[in-house]
Amino acid sequence: MNHVWALLVPYRLRMAAAWGLMLLELAVELVLPILMAKMIDDGIVAGEVNSILFWGSIMIGLSLFSFAAGITNSFIAARIGQNYGFDIRKKLIEKVQSFSFGQYGHFDTSTLITRMTNDVTQLQNAVFMSLRIMLRAPLMIIFGTAMALFVHFKLALVLLVTVPFMTFFMLFMMRRGAGMFRRVQIKLDKVNSVMRENLTGIRLIRAFVRSRYETSRFERAGKALMEDTIGVIRTFESIVPILMLVMNGGLLFILWLGFMEMQNGTATTGEIVAVINYAARIIISLSIFTFITLAFARGKASAVRINEVLAVDQEQLPAVTESYPAEGDLFLENVTFTYPGGKTPVLHSLSMRVERGSIAAILGETGSGKSALLSLIPRLYEPSEGRVAIGGRDVSQMDVRQLRRQIGFVPQESHLFTGSIIDNIRWGKKDATDEEVVEAAQKAQIHDTVLSLPDGYNTVIGQKGVTLSGGQKQRLSIARALVRQPDILLLDDSTSALDVKTEAALINAITSQNCTVLIVTQKVSTAEQADCIFMIEDGQIAASGTHRELARKNSLYRRLLESQGRGGGIHEASGS
Amino acid sequence: MKHPGHNNGDVKPQIGNMSLTLKRIGHYLLKRKGKLLLTMVMVALSSLLALAGPFLTGKAIDDYIASGDERGLIGLLAGLALVYIGYSAVSFLQNYWMVEIAQKTVYELRDDLFRHFHKLPISFFDKRRHGELMSRVTNDIDNISSTLNSSIIQIASGLLTLAGSIAVMLYLSPLLTAVTLLIIPLMFYGMKWITSRTGPKFKEQQRHLGDLNGFIEEAISSRHIVKMFSREEEMIHEFMEKNERLREAGYMAQAYSGFIPKLMNVLNNTGFAVIALVGGILALNGQATVGTIVIFTEYARQFTRPLNDLANQYNTMLSAVAGAERVFDIMDTDEAVDRGEGKIPPLAGEVTFDNVSFSYDTDKKILSNVSFHASPGDMIALIGPTGSGKTTIMNLLARFYEPNEGRILFDGINSREISGNALRSQMGFVLQDTVLFEETVMENIRYGRLDATDEEVIEAARQANAHSFIERMPEGYQSMLRQDGSGISQGQRQLLAIARAILADPVLLILDEATSSIDTITELHIQEALGRLMKGRTSFVIAHRLNTIRRADQVIRLKNGCIEAIGSYEEVAAAQ
Repeated sequence: MNHVWALLVPYRLRMAAAWGLMLLELAVELVLPILMAKMIDDGIVAGEVNSILFWGSIMIGLSLFSFAAGITNSFIAARIGQNYGFDIRKKLIEKVQSFSFGQYGHFDTSTLITRMTNDVTQLQNAVFMSLRIMLRAPLMIIFGTAMALFVHFKLALVLLVTVPFMTFFMLFMMRRGAGMFRRVQIKLDKVNSVMRENLTGIRLIRAFVRSRYETSRFERAGKALMEDTIGVIRTFESIVPILMLVMNGGLLFILWLGFMEMQNGTATTGEIVAVINYAARIIISLSIFTFITLAFARGKASAVRINEVLAVDQEQLPAVTESYPAEGDLFLENVTFTYPGGKTPVLHSLSMRVERGSIAAILGETGSGKSALLSLIPRLYEPSEGRVAIGGRDVSQMDVRQLRRQIGFVPQESHLFTGSIIDNIRWGKKDATDEEVVEAAQKAQIHDTVLSLPDGYNTVIGQKGVTLSGGQKQRLSIARALVRQPDILLLDDSTSALDVKTEAALINAITSQNCTVLIVTQKVSTAEQADCIFMIEDGQIAASGTHRELARKNSLYRRLLESQGRGGGIHEASGS
Repeated sequence: MKHPGHNNGDVKPQIGNMSLTLKRIGHYLLKRKGKLLLTMVMVALSSLLALAGPFLTGKAIDDYIASGDERGLIGLLAGLALVYIGYSAVSFLQNYWMVEIAQKTVYELRDDLFRHFHKLPISFFDKRRHGELMSRVTNDIDNISSTLNSSIIQIASGLLTLAGSIAVMLYLSPLLTAVTLLIIPLMFYGMKWITSRTGPKFKEQQRHLGDLNGFIEEAISSRHIVKMFSREEEMIHEFMEKNERLREAGYMAQAYSGFIPKLMNVLNNTGFAVIALVGGILALNGQATVGTIVIFTEYARQFTRPLNDLANQYNTMLSAVAGAERVFDIMDTDEAVDRGEGKIPPLAGEVTFDNVSFSYDTDKKILSNVSFHASPGDMIALIGPTGSGKTTIMNLLARFYEPNEGRILFDGINSREISGNALRSQMGFVLQDTVLFEETVMENIRYGRLDATDEEVIEAARQANAHSFIERMPEGYQSMLRQDGSGISQGQRQLLAIARAILADPVLLILDEATSSIDTITELHIQEALGRLMKGRTSFVIAHRLNTIRRADQVIRLKNGCIEAIGSYEEVAAAQ
């Protein structure tokens, strides 16, 4: 819990102020019945009009005072509550952004989303409530009991029995409830997750006519959420009737005792009325306990969930103060790598060298480890053994941000953002000028296409760029990488949807950038343009060399050539 | 301004708007008339019993305790005990049923929203952030949920208690009643002032929460890019802007909502003081007894409490309405027109495009006057530069979009006369973006045909050349896949998608870059299976690879949305 509660510490003074104001308010409320008793005894019974007027106006004045205190409290409480939520969300986004790739595996996307919105709201509500009314009711009970004891000790003794009982009962229920609410939030995660799958997979679902199947999946998730919610709320709704019964029993006892005391002449009507009045106030404040225990239990459950995220340790990267340019030859030495959570290594003591400024093509079967290899260079993952070096310097000794700033990466799945095309390209380098953006777009062979769009570079594309064709998306994400003017460019099979002509022009343009290029591809026509080709098989380099060399000496490469319908150097069909 | 959804934040709450929204929620509630009626009876009973309590208490003090009538007191206390027991039982029952009604309503609302999502045209999803839509299913509906749980009972019992208190007070002392009722106009103006501030802020809050949710979803699902480009800081910065907006809206909403209990409190306390004052003077003149004043202050509180509840509930309702409006906004979005024949006999597979033109937005034509004819069993290859309209043709075939001009005929029937679902259930797809669900490998393949046996699934995987890599996974076919597809390579994902299409066993097959991330040797292996699959079926294939295209019966070369050449591979190649 420490992470979540620690965030409340900066607000301790303001929280104290809010509570202080609440206490003032409460004090007025508690004093009123005493003043009333005074008025009855001194004024009415004694027949003193002035006394009635005196006490009466004091009562009115006090209630106006408590109003002012209440309003101030409300502003302070809202400020603290909202700031607290704001702070938690800030901590969460910072934490989530600091996750390493492996750590993302701990949490599903949809649960992270629920935790960052819904759970924060629950916790924020609990804090806000505690500052505004939550403590009111318990304090009302404590002070009510104290005052009643003060007015007539013997009569109020009953309250000393019932109040502790109620306290234990509620604490017990709260503990149980928190567990139940955690289950509710997990069910909410599931609803969120099904919804998200349906949004990302909407085309597939429509294509396979699975709306009904998906609806039943969603209904299952919704039903589970409903049942758990009904269960937990019913539990909490049973609290107040039980408490009421106990307190009302106490009230009966007070009446009876009051009668006895009066018979003995040890109690006045005014005293009995006052004690009954306090008891009645306690009873009224009980009705809010469903609400309070529920909000606290729910807040506690959410706090645990938020804390789970915040408690993830930041992966320790060696502190690096110096920054080195990512220039020079790229060198992988005896690299073995297993994905976090994976059992078998995807790369087995693999070694390769790519000369600075050259283009290296990486070919290999599906699942042979090509993408894994690329991801080690910008340190998305760390190799389990061996080292990756640039210009003779181990990348693990370079500052990650510095390193990545010098790398342009184009992933296999072109992931674009909601926004305009220019924003998407500039995403690669936030201070890129318009000219730089256009230049990158030209090199990525997308400039003409962009100009033909109705709003040109300001055309807005949806999440994941759905309104663009596959090839357009790929070229946009290439432009995004090129705008960085990287020293190393990593293309992870990101030209698959490009025709041969466009691709050739693209590679030509890249060559002029004077950067080291690693390009994963399935196409021999792409590989042909590389200075060196690496054939990967089961996580190892099976062969390397130029197109000519490999075509002569490597059987796998020859098979690849044949599979692409070429014995020698003929062109593919599509495109030119 | 009659239609929901257009709020600028500073617009005053629209009464017509709100009552319409409430009516729609009411419609859901009324589906459970019987239970609702029972609940209302319980509410009436509990309100009655709540009034009886203090009445009998007052009587006990006035008639028996003061006069020392022991027997009378015992009888009265026995009656009071029954009242209290009844009260607890009844208030438990009312909540017990109400929670069920409320949660079932929420479930149905969520379900209807989900179903409506599936009726919306694909274009609806193109430009919306997934997380924003998810927020409506979770955060907005959650807002309605917490309101429904308590508000209906509170409002009903509030109204009843109010009516009852007024009646009893009138009976006891019309003058004091008049004094008490002075609260109402004050309260009315106070509430009007408060809710004209909270209402719009609630809407703003939900909107910003949705916005934040959208951002989080996008940020998390694109985390690899964010890391690659070292954009963490910027993401956090953008998040904080949204976070800030949410905080401000939330602050205003909460601070002003906090006014309500304070307002009611001051009115309550002042009322208490005024009653005591006036009552005291009356008592002096012999126009009221002490007992009357005690009872009266008690009733005055009983009277302001429901007023307080009603005021709070009205405000809570505004917050629920803010959520509900966002839900109904979606439900009011026009469904995709999908009339047509719901059941069609198996198609032979003849497909004709007759002068088809299409544009996503009205400005730019993606396809213009495309005509071609595919005989049953034909394999049609679509080639052309990226953005030339290949995928659009696939989208139109699947009826994800409708042509703006021209007709698409299936077996000579205009596609508009066949429902999209009926049509798609005879088609099999491998789409450009591979979608996998958070399920086992087995279930992901089975998605192609839900009633397929395990053996059939494995057979399909074998044909798609996916079997061997699946077997190598830690738990084989039972391995869970993650939604973001981590753990298996892009090429392997495509193999799974192909297995899924093979399993579907359709009349028409649509393969959009189905093998783009698969190495060509593996592709050769599945080529055979695909060939077998395509035999006797009409298939549409988008590919860049020669050996795929060569086998086509017809090759269509597209350029800028027009057919540039059509014919056999040799003919199209020669046409260059």
